[in-house]
Amino acid sequence: MSQKLTAVIIEDEKNICRFIESVLTGESYKTVTASTGTEGLSVIASQCPDIILLDLGLPDMDGMEIIRDVRQFTHTPIIVISARTQEDEKVSALDCGADDYITKPFGTSELMARIRTALRHSHRNEKSDSMYSCGGLNIDFDRRLISLDGKEIHLTQIEYKLVSLLAKQAGKVLTYDYLMRQIWGPYSDNNNQILRVNMAHIRRKLEKNPAEPEYIFTEIGVGYRMREE
Amino acid sequence: MKRSVLLHNIKITLFFLTAATLLSTVFFLLSNNSANVAIVYVLATVLVARNTAGYVPGIVAAFLSVVFINFVFTYPYMALNFTLDGYPVTFLGMVIIATLTSTLTTHLKEQSRILKERERMLIEAEKEKMRANLLRAISHDLRTPLTGIIGAAESYLEQESLLSEYEKARLVETISEDAQWLLHMVENLLSVTRINNQTACVKTALEPLEEVVSSALQRFHKRLPESKVHAQIPDELIMIPMDATLIEQVLINLLENAVYHSGSEQPVSLSVTVDSRQASFHIRDYGLGFEPEALDSLFDGYALTKNHSSDSHKGMGIGLSICKTIINAHHGQIFAKNHSDGAEFTFTLPLGEYTHEPEIDSSNY
Repeated sequence: MSQKLTAVIIEDEKNICRFIESVLTGESYKTVTASTGTEGLSVIASQCPDIILLDLGLPDMDGMEIIRDVRQFTHTPIIVISARTQEDEKVSALDCGADDYITKPFGTSELMARIRTALRHSHRNEKSDSMYSCGGLNIDFDRRLISLDGKEIHLTQIEYKLVSLLAKQAGKVLTYDYLMRQIWGPYSDNNNQILRVNMAHIRRKLEKNPAEPEYIFTEIGVGYRMREE
Repeated sequence: MKRSVLLHNIKITLFFLTAATLLSTVFFLLSNNSANVAIVYVLATVLVARNTAGYVPGIVAAFLSVVFINFVFTYPYMALNFTLDGYPVTFLGMVIIATLTSTLTTHLKEQSRILKERERMLIEAEKEKMRANLLRAISHDLRTPLTGIIGAAESYLEQESLLSEYEKARLVETISEDAQWLLHMVENLLSVTRINNQTACVKTALEPLEEVVSSALQRFHKRLPESKVHAQIPDELIMIPMDATLIEQVLINLLENAVYHSGSEQPVSLSVTVDSRQASFHIRDYGLGFEPEALDSLFDGYALTKNHSSDSHKGMGIGLSICKTIINAHHGQIFAKNHSDGAEFTFTLPLGEYTHEPEIDSSNY
């Protein structure tokens, strides 16, 4: 890549900010840091970054508010950095428009993997792929065909919709809420049992051992994530 | 006596006496027989004694009753005449009944208060003991990795020029390893905050067994990539009411415990069986097994560290006691035992009413 990618880091803790900055600089990103929400918003508006790393616990603003504000003018991927392990917060950040989350503390490799995934999704945003292929699993979105290790898999309509939704955004966590709305419509029941049951059916068709899935992973309390590459 | 109590006593006394008078008047007008009247007043006196504090109200009620019966319901009506035959006996009887009832109820109240107090103190003491144990375990388990981190960091900073590249790398590795361990501990402690303080209960939701198991395995493999686990769960979809984050934590703790303490490279096995009432999770390793004397205090918080001094910073003290706290909060049970080739932890979770796969026809929805 001839031009450096720009990352904006909004984080109020100096040590963590420094650590992320040095990792990203090492990977030849251009980094801009902000320690408050207001500063972060103005930096995002002026720099047009390729990716935003946002800490939710900022002194001046609620993280959700920043996500909503940013989403009004750009689709730049946002990765939320959350210190707390509370799922509710992750879920609402994702539902507000964040692309992914990473829980403190995290390692370098995990951070870079998340960033790469988010960037990949933002690049192929519009021109959707016609194939998903990973391990022995192949999905042909045009022909609505799924095969596992060369053998065709039969899914019900709902199951197919779920799998293709997850596969088209492989690597990204899709929340229960998002999946419910996409498949069963905006007025679907709050209770996500039906989703869980369908996922269990899918798992039995795609995974050798449902206790150790290879393709679709559960993020407890948040949603599902499909394996990427 | 406090004013509010006095007021309460007066109100109760007046209420029952008024009720008795009304009832007696009805009786008296209907049957013209004063025997029932005395019974009704005795009842009122007993009730007054039962529902007030101290002896005085009952005796006052008895006295008033006797005077009132004499005044209203015996000849000459609307006049006092204590010279009637047997009247002193009636009066004495009423006073004795009232006094006895008051004594008994006062005694009873006092006793139940003492009992309650004692129970509260016991619970409080138990809590205090648990808190002390937990704190002791925490400070022990935190100090060990911190010592490693501080030591490694200081020797790096002070002797940087003297150390070889290899030694430097070793020191940084130590720091990283111990920091991971600290994190693990903090996550454990944090998980306890999800348990309600007052009721010691958790918010549960129906979760598919396989999702919790798979998520726990995923996190476990992330932390210990070389360790192998054989997982086996029932084929059908089982939904279990639980706080999934906490049960995940329990599974990870028990798996890590097996890896660290078995002294064996053999894969750990995780299996789940389900019967009509509960799901049982078994975590087996194929290693040393428990010391028999350690079995009793395994979940107390600081048991394991003595015998494993060579491997002291992997003391699972807090981890196991937190497992027990979590499982108890789910109304399940957790226990440990030795099997022929090693150690086994088992914990159970009660199943809800609705746990097996519901009939949902997903294609026509």
